[in-house]
Amino acid sequence: MGDSSDAAPPITLRRSVGTATATATSAGLAFAAIDYLGVVSILAYAPGATAAFAIFVGGLIVILVSAIFSELNGLYPTAAGIRLYLGRAIGNRTALSVTFTYMTTVVLVIAADAFLIGAAVRHVLNEPSVLAYVWIVVLLGVALAANLKGVRLAGWVQTIVTYTVLAGTAILSVIAMFHVGGSFKQPLDLFGQGTFSGIQAIAFAVFLYAAFEWVTTTAEEARAPRVITRALFIAPLIIWLVASVFALALSHLVTYHALHGSAYPQLLLGRAALGTVGELWMLALTVLTALNTFNGGFLVASRFIYAAARENNLPRLFARLNINAVPWMAVTTLTVVSAAVAAVVFATGQWLLLVSVGAAIECAIYAIGSVCLLVLRSRVQSHRPFRMLLGRPLAAFGALLFSLLFVATAFADPKNSKRFSVAPFTVIALLGAVATAYVYFVVPRLQRAAAARAAASRPRRRPVREATDAGETVGPEDPTID
Amino acid sequence: MADWQELTEALDDYTLSCNGNARLRQMQRDWSRILHFVCSDTHDTFSMDVEKGEIVSVQPGHVGRPDIVVTTTSETFCDMFWGDLNPVQKYLRGEIVVKGSQEDVMRLDAISYVIWPDS
Repeated sequence: MGDSSDAAPPITLRRSVGTATATATSAGLAFAAIDYLGVVSILAYAPGATAAFAIFVGGLIVILVSAIFSELNGLYPTAAGIRLYLGRAIGNRTALSVTFTYMTTVVLVIAADAFLIGAAVRHVLNEPSVLAYVWIVVLLGVALAANLKGVRLAGWVQTIVTYTVLAGTAILSVIAMFHVGGSFKQPLDLFGQGTFSGIQAIAFAVFLYAAFEWVTTTAEEARAPRVITRALFIAPLIIWLVASVFALALSHLVTYHALHGSAYPQLLLGRAALGTVGELWMLALTVLTALNTFNGGFLVASRFIYAAARENNLPRLFARLNINAVPWMAVTTLTVVSAAVAAVVFATGQWLLLVSVGAAIECAIYAIGSVCLLVLRSRVQSHRPFRMLLGRPLAAFGALLFSLLFVATAFADPKNSKRFSVAPFTVIALLGAVATAYVYFVVPRLQRAAAARAAASRPRRRPVREATDAGETVGPEDPTID
Repeated sequence: MADWQELTEALDDYTLSCNGNARLRQMQRDWSRILHFVCSDTHDTFSMDVEKGEIVSVQPGHVGRPDIVVTTTSETFCDMFWGDLNPVQKYLRGEIVVKGSQEDVMRLDAISYVIWPDS
């Protein structure tokens, strides 16, 4: 008989994630190449040093997100956490629609990073602009091949890559501020470059931190629940420091006019700071961000697709595994869709639209997360390793604030603070409508087909047991109930 | 609530099905892990040692330091090892709780999926 000691000590895993790795994962998921463009979007609304102010306020707001997701993660410490707390707070169908829309941000970020890195490489190699798309296809092809082969970045490699990107960006920015063009003698002059002109600056600043909460998907391998909580609070601090010095350096050395039409502001800063060396420095960091985006993004999204297909919420072919135990159809579809989105961005030059769409979706997710906390405070009374102080009023405040930020970014023109644009909202509404229609009309059919298939294809395998002494019939559950 | 004998029968069948599936063995050829299982209702515990995709031992109690810890009811374990339920559905509802890397969680589900694609 199995050991049934009641006072069993807590089990520690042979390989578990500590605070440094979890923090690197969180910061690495947030800090992608698109963040360099995110700073440009902030500068459109908050010129000069006021951009650093916007990033600071954005960071303060994100600390509220850290607290909300820490409590939710403590309640459901699993990779499926978002499905669980959304499902239990707002219902399973709505949860599925929201999760599908949320996952599209992963595709957008992968596509955006592929485009931005391709454009940066082409620029440095001084090739014709059409070759940027060749680089995009090459990058996505390499990522696809590595994923299909089952190649994964080891945790320590990912940690080193993340800290290298963050430290490298910060160091070059500090060099740019203090050692180029004389010294940074009158930093307050940067306040004279324009007027802080709106809530959009703060919303775009929130985008710089976006996706840091995905670290909760590693909750099952964390040494202890507090590891994820610590990462959720430390990672925004690191991103705040790096993004602030980058924004200040950019304001100091590069005119907004030059940034306005550029897909690689970090390269312009590198060249302005240290010439060719600086440009190559920033190119190397940009390419390194791809390792995190492609490794983390492909992994999170493809495993989500696999689980959704196994749950019969997507066609079964998305759960097909290759000989390396990789869901090859999910990975291939992600690559093709990312390449298609990158092609549209390449053809239209609307890369800043991705910033607006990503920022607005993240704000919506944070608003929904706040609502979930509010609802689950009433419905679920179980112990939480982390409990937010003033949870209900702060969650209500978060729901309102992030809804406001959603509206601000969904109708913002990321290039021009004096204009509104319906393009981001149109894209989000389209994505949301497709996801909702799919969940309400296609998923029920898939579920019915799966149930019929399971009932028809094979009998239950578990032997039926005799009735017990207590008169209880012991036997298998009816699989069709699932 | 399933007793230990039922669990043992289910585990024996699961071991045979896994080790006898050539495609699964090839797919899991680089997967060597120690798994711990905890029955949340009976408090029974057992361990499974997987070497390069082959289940080399299943023992009562917790043996060695695990890579993965799976916790659920004894009934769910029995149904899962007999291939009568879809582990992902239970996992996404929070009825199966796993500690381990995302990759290992997926590999664990892949075993059921490859052996019983219609589960």
